[in-house]
Amino acid sequence: MKKQLPVWLGFALALIILPQIFDSVLGISILNQMTIWIIFALSYNMLLGQGGMLSFGHAVYFGLGGFMSVHALNLIADEIIVFSITLIPLVGGAVGLIAAVFIGSFSTRKSGTVFAMISLGIGELIVASSLIFADFFGGEAGVTGDRTYGPPFFGIEFLQDAEVYYLGAFWLFVATLFMYLFTQTPAGRMANAVRDNPERAEFIGYSTRRVRFISFCAAGLFAGVAGGLFAINYEFITEENLNALTSGRVLLMAYIGGLGFFIGPIVGAVILTLMNSLLSNYSEMWMLYLGIMFLLTVLFLPRGFAGFIMMHQTAWRNRRLGMLILPYLITAIPVSLFLAGFVGLVELSHKGDDILPFFGLSLGADSMLSWGILLTLAGAGALGVKLSRPRLNAAWAAANTVAKDADGDAR
Amino acid sequence: MSLLTLDSVCKSFGSTRIINDVSLDIEAGEKHAIIGPNGAGKSTLFHLISGRYNVSSGTIGFQGKAIQNLPPYEIARRGIARSFQVTNIFPRMSVFENIRCALLWSEGYRYSFWKLLGRQKPLNDKAFDILEQIGLSDKAQLPSGELAYAQQRALELGVAVASGAELIMLDEPVAGMSNSEAENAVALIRRITEGKTLIMVEHDMNIVFDIADRISVLVYGEIIATDTPENIRGNARVQEAYLGEVPSDA
Repeated sequence: MKKQLPVWLGFALALIILPQIFDSVLGISILNQMTIWIIFALSYNMLLGQGGMLSFGHAVYFGLGGFMSVHALNLIADEIIVFSITLIPLVGGAVGLIAAVFIGSFSTRKSGTVFAMISLGIGELIVASSLIFADFFGGEAGVTGDRTYGPPFFGIEFLQDAEVYYLGAFWLFVATLFMYLFTQTPAGRMANAVRDNPERAEFIGYSTRRVRFISFCAAGLFAGVAGGLFAINYEFITEENLNALTSGRVLLMAYIGGLGFFIGPIVGAVILTLMNSLLSNYSEMWMLYLGIMFLLTVLFLPRGFAGFIMMHQTAWRNRRLGMLILPYLITAIPVSLFLAGFVGLVELSHKGDDILPFFGLSLGADSMLSWGILLTLAGAGALGVKLSRPRLNAAWAAANTVAKDADGDAR
Repeated sequence: MSLLTLDSVCKSFGSTRIINDVSLDIEAGEKHAIIGPNGAGKSTLFHLISGRYNVSSGTIGFQGKAIQNLPPYEIARRGIARSFQVTNIFPRMSVFENIRCALLWSEGYRYSFWKLLGRQKPLNDKAFDILEQIGLSDKAQLPSGELAYAQQRALELGVAVASGAELIMLDEPVAGMSNSEAENAVALIRRITEGKTLIMVEHDMNIVFDIADRISVLVYGEIIATDTPENIRGNARVQEAYLGEVPSDA
């Protein structure tokens, strides 16, 4: 823990400084979303990455925590209860935990496919009941609240998004710290053991069911904390926040970021939040790009973006990372060409009669020349990637194997 | 009183009877080997004692209490540890973590999520001690899945004995090893099972006759003889079962 103190200080510092750098309305709004999604994605990774439990219904705990938090906001506004807005994430966390204790008591009996199917079923069940119990869930319209009616917190009334950001950043830091510490405890470590080899875990004295249950409850708790932050940030929550779409999104975040690393889901949450907020302004097809990115990650980066970064450890340790810069840059050129061509093709194909502005050109779907330009671009890019690959591979091999030789000499 | 008592234990899968009316007493401190031809039910017998399988009938007593049909973790907590014929470790965790996890329950950590492992000095020291004993201290931080085969077998033993169980059950601990590796493994087994009770399934008769105080011969799910190595070697039924495979000069 002592060794990691600089990392945690850096993390705290980044959280404080980031809104100064990205101080636009959009910037703060994206940062606010990130605080929520990072906590949620980290909590999801307690299940999948740390515990080997594939859940298709983790949004249930996020959503239930969120709904209860919005109701809590309303109770505070109506002066029925006196409670600080700053502690709303604890309400969400408590609700997430209670739901997880209840549902986990039977769903964690099994792992693997059975667990995944139960999680899917529970998710659908909660979504269905959200439309039935309209008083609590607000039907299709959802529930709205107002975070500004509570007692001010040292004069702060959370009228501005930036104030909400610092509240979110505080909870993000606390939640991340506790989730990390959990991995360093007997229960957290046995979750890894059960993930790796449930049979052997039983023969060293641990009930795999109980180990899974504890991780499941912790994951529900932190998902609820994220839901509470969601409630504060948006002051609004609907059935969509606990359905399969949201469960799927958090799965994508954790997976694209990298399941095997603690920071993986953080990376994934940042990437997906950016795509969601920025790309969606530019293209209606951003979900397609997200899908393709997920596919490519599964196929080529099974350990996610964090895994891709960690792949460079050997090269880094042996001071050979510099060897890779030039080959990476060279390969990046045809990759960019291909991406530009591919994105152009996708965009053009659903433009209809509209004009597609493309690097100064005006492309139209009815012009053969437009299609030709884009196809040529994509084709040339693909060819370029193919041609530059061997050089990159050779550089990669050199950067990693030279290290081994040096190691051998040292012995 | 015997440490482990099997009384008329039977195990059937469907209509096939794999273990038939096995009764056996293992004394505390004894080194006991179970031998027999392939498919005799040796591993099944291990699975019954360690809780992987439930018995079809009969009782298994450990330290005077019935343990048959308890889940594996309950049996492990009572002091029976085992290794597996096929290496069965936590492949994505480091060698050190493998041993430390194997220590957790017996050191009283249970499911605690409020204690940081990095701060548990006695626990970590103990894990390093065991690594030292099994000769893997220089591999402590390596993912255990990347160890060489013989090293994985050593780790398998380490995980089994880490808990300090009273009864240690080893299922073909030296299978697949070269002669020199097997020699090391036997020395290791002697060292780490000192003062403990050992039940071992092994095909290598030299090792069996070397280590065991008593031997049980399992043929078609039945124990046809339990005796000292000398008497087993001279037993006509055993020789018949093995078609003279028992080495006469081991």
